[in-house]
Amino acid sequence: MTPSSRRDLLPGTLDMLILKTLVAQPMHGYGIAQHLQRLSEDVIRVEEGSLYPALQRMRQKGWIKAEWRQTPNNQRARYYTVTSAGRKHLGQQESGFLELLTAIGRIMRPA
Amino acid sequence: MREWLNRLRDWLRREELDRELTEELRFHREQLERDAKGEGAPAESVPYLARRRLGNLTRVHEEARDRWSWPWLDHFQKDLRYAFRGLRRSPGFSATVIVTLGLGIGANAAMFGVVDRLMFRPFPYMRDASTVHRVYLTWQDRERSRTSSAFEYTRYLDLTKFTTSFSQFAGFATRRMAVGVGDASRERSVAVVNASFFDFFDMRPALGRFFVAAEDVTPKGASVVVLEHGFWQREFGGRNVLGETLHVRNIPCVIIGVAPKGFVGVSENEPPAVFIPITTSAGNEPNERMAATYYKTYNWGWMSVMLRRKPGVSVAAASQDLSQAHVRSWNAELAIEPRGTPASVARPAAVAGSLKTPAGPDAGLESKTLLWVTGVAVIVMLIACANVANLMLARVLRRRREIAVRLALGVSRKRLLAQCLTESMLLAALGCVAGLAIAQWGGAALRHILVRNSSALDVVTDWRTLVVAAGFALAAGLLTGLAPAYLAGRGELAAALKAGAREGGAHRSRMRSALLVVQGALSVILLVGAGLFVKSLDHVRDLPMGFDSEPVLYATTNMRGMRTTEAQQEALGQALLTAGQGIPGVESAAWVSAAPFQSSSATNLHVEGIDSVRKLGRFTYQSTTPDFFKTMNTRVLRGRSFTAEDRKGTPRVALVSDAMGKALWPGKDPIGQCMRVGNDTVPCTTVIGIAENAVERSFSGEKGFMYYLPIAQYEPGSGYALMLRMRGDPRPHQETVRKVLQAVMPGQSYIRVQPFDEIIDTERRSWKVGATMFVAFGVLALLVAAVGLYGVITYNVAQRMHELGVRIALGAQAVHVMRLVVGQGVRFALLGVVIGLGLALVGAKWIQPLLFQQSARDPVTYGLVAVILLMVALLASVLPARRATRADPNSALRTD
Repeated sequence: MTPSSRRDLLPGTLDMLILKTLVAQPMHGYGIAQHLQRLSEDVIRVEEGSLYPALQRMRQKGWIKAEWRQTPNNQRARYYTVTSAGRKHLGQQESGFLELLTAIGRIMRPA
Repeated sequence: MREWLNRLRDWLRREELDRELTEELRFHREQLERDAKGEGAPAESVPYLARRRLGNLTRVHEEARDRWSWPWLDHFQKDLRYAFRGLRRSPGFSATVIVTLGLGIGANAAMFGVVDRLMFRPFPYMRDASTVHRVYLTWQDRERSRTSSAFEYTRYLDLTKFTTSFSQFAGFATRRMAVGVGDASRERSVAVVNASFFDFFDMRPALGRFFVAAEDVTPKGASVVVLEHGFWQREFGGRNVLGETLHVRNIPCVIIGVAPKGFVGVSENEPPAVFIPITTSAGNEPNERMAATYYKTYNWGWMSVMLRRKPGVSVAAASQDLSQAHVRSWNAELAIEPRGTPASVARPAAVAGSLKTPAGPDAGLESKTLLWVTGVAVIVMLIACANVANLMLARVLRRRREIAVRLALGVSRKRLLAQCLTESMLLAALGCVAGLAIAQWGGAALRHILVRNSSALDVVTDWRTLVVAAGFALAAGLLTGLAPAYLAGRGELAAALKAGAREGGAHRSRMRSALLVVQGALSVILLVGAGLFVKSLDHVRDLPMGFDSEPVLYATTNMRGMRTTEAQQEALGQALLTAGQGIPGVESAAWVSAAPFQSSSATNLHVEGIDSVRKLGRFTYQSTTPDFFKTMNTRVLRGRSFTAEDRKGTPRVALVSDAMGKALWPGKDPIGQCMRVGNDTVPCTTVIGIAENAVERSFSGEKGFMYYLPIAQYEPGSGYALMLRMRGDPRPHQETVRKVLQAVMPGQSYIRVQPFDEIIDTERRSWKVGATMFVAFGVLALLVAAVGLYGVITYNVAQRMHELGVRIALGAQAVHVMRLVVGQGVRFALLGVVIGLGLALVGAKWIQPLLFQQSARDPVTYGLVAVILLMVALLASVLPARRATRADPNSALRTD
């Protein structure tokens, strides 16, 4: 995979992707990054450090909670969990996003 | 909202968050390094690969930190800490400022609490209070404008019929009635109200229900009662009392409900104990004729009316509607009693005014005085602010080197300003706390002087007062902080850096001098006001009233609606009089038909040769028993007073007041003249003596004429009140007298005894309030101003030590130096005096109506105040001046 084939995220979608990731299970920052990369088959390029300001912002908005836990390898890591407010927000984002995608798809479809 | 709270919480633990982020990123990096190793990257490139995946860590840190840092909050915290340190370093300065502001804020918070309760605060539970009014009737009576909120029930009904602008009406009155039976019965305040009264409020009864329209009907409403919550708690322990009977006056009422906690109706003083239908009260009047006709005639004005404007009706339109209704009602009255004044002459009108009488058009002297006192409190606050600003200025000047250094080092002027303001705001906040403490403590004193019977004046738990206090503190913080901040941020850096602690900078001390003069002027105004009120109070006290009040006890009976015959009344009156005269300590006793300031009686008077006696003024009579003149110490100037021989059947006799004799029979001897009392067909009443003039209704109102009739000849039966003259102070005898007299009272009826002086004192209250408060605030202002002057002169002397030293070295005498310094202080004071007196002269015309026989431009008062202020200024500058004479010429010469 060459770097040029990676894509920048659409603005505003990082929150949604993080929430979607965390809905499956609580995870630490590194895990989120891995998850995004794996599922997008390396298409999405996130500078992994930039996850952290986003996580702080979402925590302040009350969408996620953070707590220190032990990893399976017995290391201390900060795990993030989605709150009910976060789930609600994700639901709204998802439906809006899908609508948008469909609309864009329709326009971009060859006539 | 939630997000901001979270951010604030994060700000508070930002260091911890910082640490956590670092740890989190380290964990991430370690994982990435492990991955890289696992993928077989060469060992030396592992850290590089990991870092590349993570991106710019500094930026990550900064961005994350932005989420929990607020720069201005950080600054504010730093400033606050700095300010605290500064204040701790100079405890004398801080204490002075806090106490000064505390006095100002405290005085205002306390005054606001009083005035707000008296005039502005809506009654508890009142719905949409801004659309609710009390109706005030106005008319012309003998060239005078009259305003009154007293209504006849009939007139109230007229108003509901003749107006269209109102959605709700209710009549109400507060009356004192005996409540309960036997030993448990007490005279209490009873709210008599229409059933519609309760619809003005948003509330539900705590128990049962309120009475309804069907229970409030003319001529006589149902015997039902609603208890006030506190009364219910105190007297019934809060148990279920529905269906029980409670006697209100002579009416056995069924308890149907309990009002919610805090509901007092529209009672301005003491909360009522119970609520009963207004028609129940009127329909059960002991006077049978009144009870039967109160809703059809216009001769018993006893209640007030409140109403609610319909949406969209302006206050002016409402008053107009009420005015035309009053005209129609006036004509309706003329239809029944054609002898009244025609509407074209009386010009009846009405005003939809404030529900609270002290804020209405019929406000008494007392509430006007109170408003003035509030203004005075604001002036005290201004003086306090001027003083504090002055102190702060001095501080800034002392620190100008430090400030210049900081400016030179690149601190922005905005930050400097913020710092100054933070400091003054901190001081103001502390002052506010001190002020609330003072107000809380002073509130007790204020309550004592200003508002009788009023519910607790708790300052600390009253949010309206708290908001006002905080507002004053904010204003004080701004006022006292801005001037120094402005100066601190200005000025010539280089000069300040070069100069030592000397060099005051002329323009800066000009500002301080101006503040000083303002303080002086304001103090002068307050002291002039204090002087005028004190003199008024003296005049009122010295006023020859024509009777003594100090040694007299005043007893009134309450028959609780018992219907008695005239003969029974007469016997009771005689029994009480005899019992009273027999009490040890009682010098003499007499029945009166009217007590000064309490009631008066008038009737038609006919004198041969005079068309209409009424046109000459107001004639009131006092029918009384023989010992009256001895008891009240009203001097009989000529002729004789009554004796026991002047009774029913003997020729009718009367005494007239000196003024009345001169008015009715100018140039003739009134003794032996004939007047006819009641109507012109009755036999002559012969004048047998002249009594000195006496005050009858009010100190300040119109002068009236008084005549005296023997009660036995004119209206036998017990009079309005029994006056008992005691030997010495009557207070210790009050209870004994009551017990002896009570033993004479039949059935459920009872008697009340109080010192007559208490009643007179009530009449003097407005001047007493004015005098007390003006003097208190005036002295406070003077004190604060003196401290200010002292501070400034001291500071100036310190600044000029060098110059003074040079002068002394050049041969100046101590006296010269003294004169130099003291002269400066006195000059400030003189300027303040001139400005203050000028303003007082201008303001005199507004305060004049509040004074009693006292010109508001009294030269003696003005002169005295000027002297006092100059003396204080002299004193405040002599101390620093003495320090000035000790300026050391040696050190002065050596420094340069």
